[in-house]
Amino acid sequence: MTDNETFSRDAQQSMDGEPHGSMSDAERMQVDRLLRAIDSYRAAIMPPDAALHDAVLAGIRGRTPARKRPAWHWLFEPRPIRLRPVWVPVIAAAAALLWLGVRPGADIESPLPSEATASVTSSTMFVHFQLTAPDANLVSIAGSFTDWRADTYRLDREDGGIWSITLALPLGEHQYQFVIDGDRWIPDPRAHAQIDDGFGGTNSLVIVGPRGVVQT
Amino acid sequence: MTWINRCLPLTALLLAAAPLSSQEVAVRAQLEARGLAPTLIAEVAAIAADATAQGIPTGPLANKAIEGWAKRVPEARIMMAVRQMSAQMIQAQTALRAAGLDGPPGMLIAAAAEALGRGMRPEDVRTLLDAVPAPDQAGDGLRVAAALAAQGLGREQAVAVVVRALRRGEPAARLLDLPSIAQALKAQGLGPAQIGKQMMEGGGMMGSRGQGQGAGGRPPGVPPGRPDNPPGQSKRPSGT
Repeated sequence: MTDNETFSRDAQQSMDGEPHGSMSDAERMQVDRLLRAIDSYRAAIMPPDAALHDAVLAGIRGRTPARKRPAWHWLFEPRPIRLRPVWVPVIAAAAALLWLGVRPGADIESPLPSEATASVTSSTMFVHFQLTAPDANLVSIAGSFTDWRADTYRLDREDGGIWSITLALPLGEHQYQFVIDGDRWIPDPRAHAQIDDGFGGTNSLVIVGPRGVVQT
Repeated sequence: MTWINRCLPLTALLLAAAPLSSQEVAVRAQLEARGLAPTLIAEVAAIAADATAQGIPTGPLANKAIEGWAKRVPEARIMMAVRQMSAQMIQAQTALRAAGLDGPPGMLIAAAAEALGRGMRPEDVRTLLDAVPAPDQAGDGLRVAAALAAQGLGREQAVAVVVRALRRGEPAARLLDLPSIAQALKAQGLGPAQIGKQMMEGGGMMGSRGQGQGAGGRPPGVPPGRPDNPPGQSKRPSGT
């Protein structure tokens, strides 16, 4: 059948196996031709092999069933929330008040990080070390906190030849140097102070206080 | 004299010598673990044994040797530094005893030795000892005073800043914030004299400005100094 061929409603109902009215001879012949073509096509289709059927079912049965999600998982699943628009500014104002209430003006006045934000434990603080060494292939840090091992902490390279690392250090005094490419020991120009290392070189000095560390 | 009576003095001598040898063994083990040359280990252990006999700590000596070894310093230079440190600790012990401490703890001796090695004087040690509520808290004060001096404050001013902070009632641990405060003021553009003056007035320390516990007292424009400042970004606020 081509796109140009048209059917009457009775012919369509006849094709669908539904009760239908009278058709013209030409339509009846066309319908008969189409039905024969359909029958011959059906006969040409090979029925699925029983073995394939069994294999598919076995595969489905063999699949590991999905793990049952823990009860708390619903907290992290995305879900639509219905909210009246009027509550949006109210919630925002409450969040702002809560934020200001938790952080009273202490931080605004403090020259050092607050203990809450900078502290790892009560006796350990994060200290950020940074060195500009565009020609270096490898920069590490060695000091009293690594037992002077130069292979404990390697700095990460950032854009512009800047190398940096953040370490959690105990409160107190720490002496250190950067080690470039494994053999060149240099002091940190951002440290609190530079002191004689007793070997003709210079150790950098940083003193970690309970409110953090300020470097230049 | 019975057999027991004859053995008692020998037993007492052995018991007295036992701690000495254990210190030496510990130093040897520490140095061997870092792979120092056997000759160097023997020399450092001998100095450590003398140090123990004189009541000074051996840890700083071993650490100095390890530091030199890690930096690939020649052995002779390492030994010179270790001997120098030993001499500084004996000097520190003398200064602490002169300040009224009969048996100063090892950590305090080490702190005083570091301070003396960085230009502090025995009278500074006494001044700081007098200012702390308990002698074992003097170590932080000594280290901080020495650090402030190394940051550019005058020696006397550095000691005065620490003593003033202690007399304001700052806990000993809070003294450790002083070098960062000095650094922040330096970043603001203040010179050593101005930094010392501000710190004498309690700038940056908690409780200043009468704002109570933890309120701080940052001088205007002092940078926050958080460790996560982006690289290359000035910690000085713009316009200051």
